[in-house]
Amino acid sequence: MDYNMEDTQNPVEAQKVAQRNDTQSVTKRLQAELMQLMLSPSPGISAFPDADGNLLAWTATITGPTETPYEGLTLKLSFKFPNDYPYSPPTVLFKTPIYHPNVDFSGRICLDILKDKWSAVYNVSSVLLSLQSLLGEPNNASPLNAQAAELWDSNQEEFKRHVLARHQDLDDE
Amino acid sequence: MLSTVPLNAGRRRVFGSVFSPSPAHSLKSDNPVASFESTDSTSTVKADSQSNSFATIGGSTDSASADAEILDQARVAAAEFLSVPNLGFEPLYAHRDTDGSELLKEWNRLAPPSKESAEALEYLMRTSPWTLFEWYGNDIRKHFLINFRSGLTKLLASPEKEDLLRTIVACLQLARRIYLAPVLHFLLPLTPHQGGYLAQLQRAFHTVVSYSLPWREISPLLASELTRDAVVILGIDTLDETFDAEMSEDEMEVERTYSVSYKDWKEETPEAREHMMAEGEDHRVTIARDRLLAFLNGLQLVGLGADKAQKVFAEVMNILMGDFIHAAYAGEWEAPSSVPQHLGQWIENVYARLAVQVLSVIHSEIESGTMDVSFGDVEKWRTVGTARLGMLRVSELFDVVVDWPASSGAVEDLRHFVTQTRPRAYVTHWFSLNLQQRLLHPGASTVEILQVYISVIRAFHLLDPNGVLLDRIARPIRRYLRDRDDTVKVIVSGLLADPAAVEGPVTSDTLVELASELTRLNQHSMQSKNSEIDFDDMNWLPDPVDAAPDYRKSKSADVIDSLVSLFDSKETFVKEMQTLLADRLIQKRRHYDQETTVLELLKVRFGDSALQACEVMLKDLTDSRRLDHAVRNDQIVSGNLTAEDTQLHAKILSRFFWPEFQDQEFKVPDEITAIQESYASCFEKRKDSRKLMWHNALGQVTVELEFENHSFVDEVTTWQATVIYAFQDSPPDSPATKSIPELAEQLQMTPPLVRSACLFWVSKRVLHEVTRDTFEVIEILEDEHAPDSDSDSEAGEADAAAAAEAAAAAAAKESAEAAAMEKMNVHWQFIVGMLTNQGPMALARIIMMLKIAVPGGFPFSDEELREFLGGMVTKGKLEIVNGGNYKIVH
Repeated sequence: MDYNMEDTQNPVEAQKVAQRNDTQSVTKRLQAELMQLMLSPSPGISAFPDADGNLLAWTATITGPTETPYEGLTLKLSFKFPNDYPYSPPTVLFKTPIYHPNVDFSGRICLDILKDKWSAVYNVSSVLLSLQSLLGEPNNASPLNAQAAELWDSNQEEFKRHVLARHQDLDDE
Repeated sequence: MLSTVPLNAGRRRVFGSVFSPSPAHSLKSDNPVASFESTDSTSTVKADSQSNSFATIGGSTDSASADAEILDQARVAAAEFLSVPNLGFEPLYAHRDTDGSELLKEWNRLAPPSKESAEALEYLMRTSPWTLFEWYGNDIRKHFLINFRSGLTKLLASPEKEDLLRTIVACLQLARRIYLAPVLHFLLPLTPHQGGYLAQLQRAFHTVVSYSLPWREISPLLASELTRDAVVILGIDTLDETFDAEMSEDEMEVERTYSVSYKDWKEETPEAREHMMAEGEDHRVTIARDRLLAFLNGLQLVGLGADKAQKVFAEVMNILMGDFIHAAYAGEWEAPSSVPQHLGQWIENVYARLAVQVLSVIHSEIESGTMDVSFGDVEKWRTVGTARLGMLRVSELFDVVVDWPASSGAVEDLRHFVTQTRPRAYVTHWFSLNLQQRLLHPGASTVEILQVYISVIRAFHLLDPNGVLLDRIARPIRRYLRDRDDTVKVIVSGLLADPAAVEGPVTSDTLVELASELTRLNQHSMQSKNSEIDFDDMNWLPDPVDAAPDYRKSKSADVIDSLVSLFDSKETFVKEMQTLLADRLIQKRRHYDQETTVLELLKVRFGDSALQACEVMLKDLTDSRRLDHAVRNDQIVSGNLTAEDTQLHAKILSRFFWPEFQDQEFKVPDEITAIQESYASCFEKRKDSRKLMWHNALGQVTVELEFENHSFVDEVTTWQATVIYAFQDSPPDSPATKSIPELAEQLQMTPPLVRSACLFWVSKRVLHEVTRDTFEVIEILEDEHAPDSDSDSEAGEADAAAAAEAAAAAAAKESAEAAAMEKMNVHWQFIVGMLTNQGPMALARIIMMLKIAVPGGFPFSDEELREFLGGMVTKGKLEIVNGGNYKIVH
């Protein structure tokens, strides 16, 4: 029994240690990213950790780029960082309801750098910038929202109407 | 007892018929009482009718009825002789102070019995002595209850408690004599079993006494009575400071040999110490002792002694032990301490002696044969004494620590106390409480707290070398110190202080002690710095049982290590070190030996890498001295410089390694700029790819000013020099006049700084303020009015100096505020990010988030942040929405 305990205990222990080390390095990296975001803010994007205190969940805000249907809109996103970040991409979702060819109705995003093209050199700020540009130039080849993709190509006015109809400000939740 | 009376008539008949002289059969007999009942009145009934001579019939016991007859007659006669007149309590009270013989005479207790009575007594003693005494015992009870009880109760209830018990005891003693005198004088000589009969009577007396006087009321009286004399005997009264000083001084010569005072004792030689308390008792003490013992003797005689009195005595002695220890040893902290020895002797020679004497008087009746005080008891008292001493020291511990190292004796005493777990817990508990109350509050300065902490480390290291107690005590202090902003600063400045100053008066704002500690400790420190598990350590001991889980054994009382380890990382410490070092190195000084030494010592402690920046800073200075020399030589060789020119010496600092300076930027005079440029070009020639950036605000200038009738030479700061230089380029005919806005514009200096500089010059009597913010050079110093208004001008000068100082402080504050604002701007970004993404938040939440998110923590207080956010609200960048939440304005 005692042996048994020892056998089971050690791997768990080791795993825990490894996990803690991971968490530490992730935290460190995220802290650095936050500092960078704060010291050299890019216009139109912003992000900050959630209040739970472990830095693994953030909320980001991007404003819609000018001369796009999203101009003047504020869009919120949620970031969930895995324990092996930055070696795996964060899970990014739109929290604000958005009408976009590459975003489905539950906010999931189809963006290559958040999937197979992810690389450790990307960071929160680069992801946000990519998303911002995705708003202006959707990738209609692989749409998650086929109607939006179609409308984008055929009727920009109607598209914009859909965008505004779907949009809700989340600020005063 | 009285309820049995109705039975008596019957019993009497029974006894009359079956009379037996054996006392065993008649033990319970209450006959005599019944016979005596008729003698209620004060006039005793004369048994005239029974005037037969007992002597003639006494011996004949031929017929039972005749015997009974004779016995009855004998009893009546004896009763007549023994009966006590019912005179009430008053005569007793009146005669309480006499020896009682008069009263006895008055009450007819000493008169020998008449012939018949004597015969009757003899007869009774011969035939049924037990009955006689039984009967008389009852008689005593009855009489006592009738005559004395109410009087004594009244006496006991009287408000005057002083000597009350003595009065009562005196009365009771007298009563006892009244009752027993005839027995002692006339009855007992008739029998060989004196002790037994007497004891029987005494018991009867004692019973009625304790029945009449409730112990509940007697015991406090007895306690105060005991205390009064015991205080004198134990010597506690002489220890009081209030004790008449002159008297003790007079007595000192005569009575020197006897004293329980610890101070006196300490001054004696070891041989004399032995005898000091054992011999040559003080006169007063002897009197008190005799008085007390006599009193207790009386107490014992009247039946108020024994077990119950012993209990009271024990309580009193218990209290007095504490009192003595308090009076004798409070504040006696010198090392080496011999308090335990003194206490031991006192307990043995004074305390135990009194206990033995008292207990031998008020011994319990049952086991009077055994020794009342055993050697084990004395040992126990010693233990109790040590514990009491420990409690005293614990209560004093905070002051002891504050007085360290003058008070190390007290800690030695305490060592005897903290040998077990419970006292240890007691010590730490109380000391922590004390600390909380007296030290860890906003009223105490950080220097004070650190000072006490250092003393605590040293004192507790002596107290408990394992460091467990220290570990427990130090936690709250350390936690508190971590919260203080200026802790690091104080420590670092303490380390950098001049150890030579330790000898001087203690300064309140620096911990000079640390500097000396640093040098001292280095001599024997580092060797024990090895790893935690040392298998070759033959002196290894397990951690003490009461150690905290994360307790770490520290081999030495390393004060600096404790202070430095206050902070999680060395970085905070090193950063502060850098700032302070920078300030010191910037100053114009010949050498920096002190700094170098400190740095070397710290390097041993922290390792080279941690202090690399500091080392570079020091190296910069030596390098720049050499470079400065070289550059000057170059300049002279190239002919750019002549000896008359203004000399410029530079300190070349490697920007990367120096902390940022709070700079007040301004334009230096063109001449200086020119020199700076030539200097820089020479430098750049020597050092390729390096560029000089001038910090104009840092530095000293030697200024020589020539006026029409006075001059000025001194070393001033660069900005002060720049301001006075600006007065030079005005038209030469009239005294130069400048206003502050003008100067600020010209020199690109902030107005407060300009004002500060001008006021400085006013204090030097170089400028004077013509109108508000306009200054004029004093070309002609009016000396003539100086003599008559000397004090006036001096006062004015002092005022100006003070004003200059205030202005400089204001300028410094402004630049500091600007720097703080700069820092706050970074945090502003965080706040913007936070509020943008997380929605409106309350202040508390913002602070919490900032503490989590900002690397290195959030250095501002809640108030500062509230103010800052308030400012942002005014600026329109924030708004306050429902419930005081801050919201960003888009």
